[in-house]
Amino acid sequence: MIEVRGLTKTYGERTILAGIDATFAMGQVVALVGPSGGGKSTFLRCLNGLESFDGGAITVVGHGLLPGGAHINRTALHAIRQRVGMVFQQWNLFAHRTALGNVVEAPVHVKRVPLGQATERARQLLARVGLSHREGAYPHEMSGGEQQRVAIARALAMEPDALLLDEPTSALDPERVGEVLDVLQALAAEGLTMLVVTHEMRFARDVSHRTLVLHGGKIIEDGPSKQVLEHPQHERTRAFLGLDRK
Amino acid sequence: MKLSRALLALLMLALLGSCHRHGPPVSGLARVRAAGVLRWGGDIQGGEPYVYEDASHGGRLTGFEVTLAEAIARELGVRAQFVQNDWSALVPSLERGTFDVAMNGLEVTPQRVGRVRFTRPYYIFAARLMARRGDARIQGNLASLRGRRVGTLSNSFSYELLRHTGAEIRAYEGVEEPYTDLVERRTDAVLLDDIIAARYGQPKPELQVVDDLADGYYSVAVRPAETDLHDAIDHALARITASGELERILTGAELWNARQGRLRTWSDTDQRQMLGVATEGQRFGWLHVRLFAQGAFQTMWLSVLAMALAIPLGLALAVARLYGPRGVQRLAGAYVEVYRGTPVLLQLYVLYYGLAPVVSLDPRVAAVLGLGMNYAAYEAEVYRAGIQAVPKGQTEAALSLGMTVPMTLRRVVLPQAFRLALPSVTNDFIALLKDSSLVSVITVVELTKQMTITAIDVRGWAVPGALCALMYFAMSYPLSIWAKRLEARLARS
Repeated sequence: MIEVRGLTKTYGERTILAGIDATFAMGQVVALVGPSGGGKSTFLRCLNGLESFDGGAITVVGHGLLPGGAHINRTALHAIRQRVGMVFQQWNLFAHRTALGNVVEAPVHVKRVPLGQATERARQLLARVGLSHREGAYPHEMSGGEQQRVAIARALAMEPDALLLDEPTSALDPERVGEVLDVLQALAAEGLTMLVVTHEMRFARDVSHRTLVLHGGKIIEDGPSKQVLEHPQHERTRAFLGLDRK
Repeated sequence: MKLSRALLALLMLALLGSCHRHGPPVSGLARVRAAGVLRWGGDIQGGEPYVYEDASHGGRLTGFEVTLAEAIARELGVRAQFVQNDWSALVPSLERGTFDVAMNGLEVTPQRVGRVRFTRPYYIFAARLMARRGDARIQGNLASLRGRRVGTLSNSFSYELLRHTGAEIRAYEGVEEPYTDLVERRTDAVLLDDIIAARYGQPKPELQVVDDLADGYYSVAVRPAETDLHDAIDHALARITASGELERILTGAELWNARQGRLRTWSDTDQRQMLGVATEGQRFGWLHVRLFAQGAFQTMWLSVLAMALAIPLGLALAVARLYGPRGVQRLAGAYVEVYRGTPVLLQLYVLYYGLAPVVSLDPRVAAVLGLGMNYAAYEAEVYRAGIQAVPKGQTEAALSLGMTVPMTLRRVVLPQAFRLALPSVTNDFIALLKDSSLVSVITVVELTKQMTITAIDVRGWAVPGALCALMYFAMSYPLSIWAKRLEARLARS
């Protein structure tokens, strides 16, 4: 459902993505790991057009993206974004809306779902992430973990085919990481397609089916999570995972 | 608590102001002689032929009053020195001692007679009525002006003549504008001194002189306590008149006419008649309070409408500047720079007088447009800062949910930017409330203008000034409180 061919991106002299080829199938949970600056987040953000790219081609749920920016790919981006949700490291909940308001916003205004119906669905989603009691809370009244769970509910409210998650637990207090991972694990169990940029090796190993290691803008390792994380082929992966240490 | 203390201070100020009236005689003459200079006040803005800077002579001060002041000073054995002062504030400035005498087409009106000591006149003018050529509705009498829009200068002799005629008075600050507006059909007639009419009205082919309605006098104004200076100047003028020097001066300025003959035979009886019975100032009463309330209403109404224009226009400019195509961005940027970089007074002038040949705007419409378009430039910058202060993540989240850019702006960015901008917007509205007093230059009578008019009626600035300040405060203070509450409420959500 997502196909990437020869994806490149540079910032001036610096190469961020140096030719990436990858295919992601429906129902897969994929972890994108690797050292900081390896291009993981940029890669993810290219998939729904939050970043433009310089070469190659991307096809997401049947819509092709070309090098250039939002103005070239407007129609495709609009379609992709409605079917592929995103969850951010910093949650990015709409600061002027309650938890419930955040979740109903897009269905009502993008998909034109009647408010009553959208609200009912939003309550179900909040219940699913364990936040029924917080529906009237504003973002600044919630903990990071709560905000991130609302953000996941917000993304799910559009009934996406897939979710892109950009380091969903990196900005959380350690004791809050668990509650978000539990939600993601439950979603994985339901068969939702997810691409997760993460530093949580526990999540990569236990939840994701497949792990990609990005380094220097390239995929240096790609395979079933267990194999990649326990028997990495590439020395850089070994270094990154700390397996070389005696 | 703080509020009541501020009120008390204002009241004290008002009381203090009303105390200093006529003190014991002071020797003004001795002071002038000791200084060796007679400092006389006037306004260059009054222009030719009174006092003006002669461009062909390197901006040298010229005018029949300049020549006359030099002659009077010579008679007193001193030099004359001109002091520039806004014409409408000549009397208050004289009272506070900015100069020794005021002499600048200062007409003898009952109001002024109560405040200053006038010498014998040096010019007899006629209040000249002008109308558009062929307009038969305007007759050579005050009665025909009932219900008509008549232009004149504020605080002038003609203004006094018009007050009880039932005419709709348009009070101007400058001498050219009343005639321009008459040509533009914004008024039906203009009543002003013949000197002004001859220079600024009669050259316009669209206009005609209807008639001269009354005689008036230009005299030198001296502080009431300085009787010796008054007498010395009075005698000096008598000598200058008797010697034929005054006639030469007036002839030189092409001002001498048959009417001036009376100056030669001026007697004490004439002087008493000219001064009339100095009317006591009206008491400041409920009538004035009602007029003030009307002025305050006008101020509020103008400000609200101007802000109602400034907010959406400013928003459009801010959005155009941030999200528009390059050309539109530049245009919006230029708008902001031009409107912020030039005085709002000038913008009002251009809008009302400058554009008159193209579109003849009603003064109040021009006032709202002028203030609104000016404040839009400031609002645009406030909103721009607000929009830029909304974290980028908010936009990304909205876009990633499939929102279009306009929807993201409308649903996510602008509501948050508005909260950030709210304190500045309130601040701007309070500033606008006070800036709206500038529209008196295009003949709109709002609170401040009402204050200056009343100050002349009651012969004092203190009480009207305090009431005026109080009314501005009464309008802006609740607004500040409301804004504070709104901010607090928004901060909670």
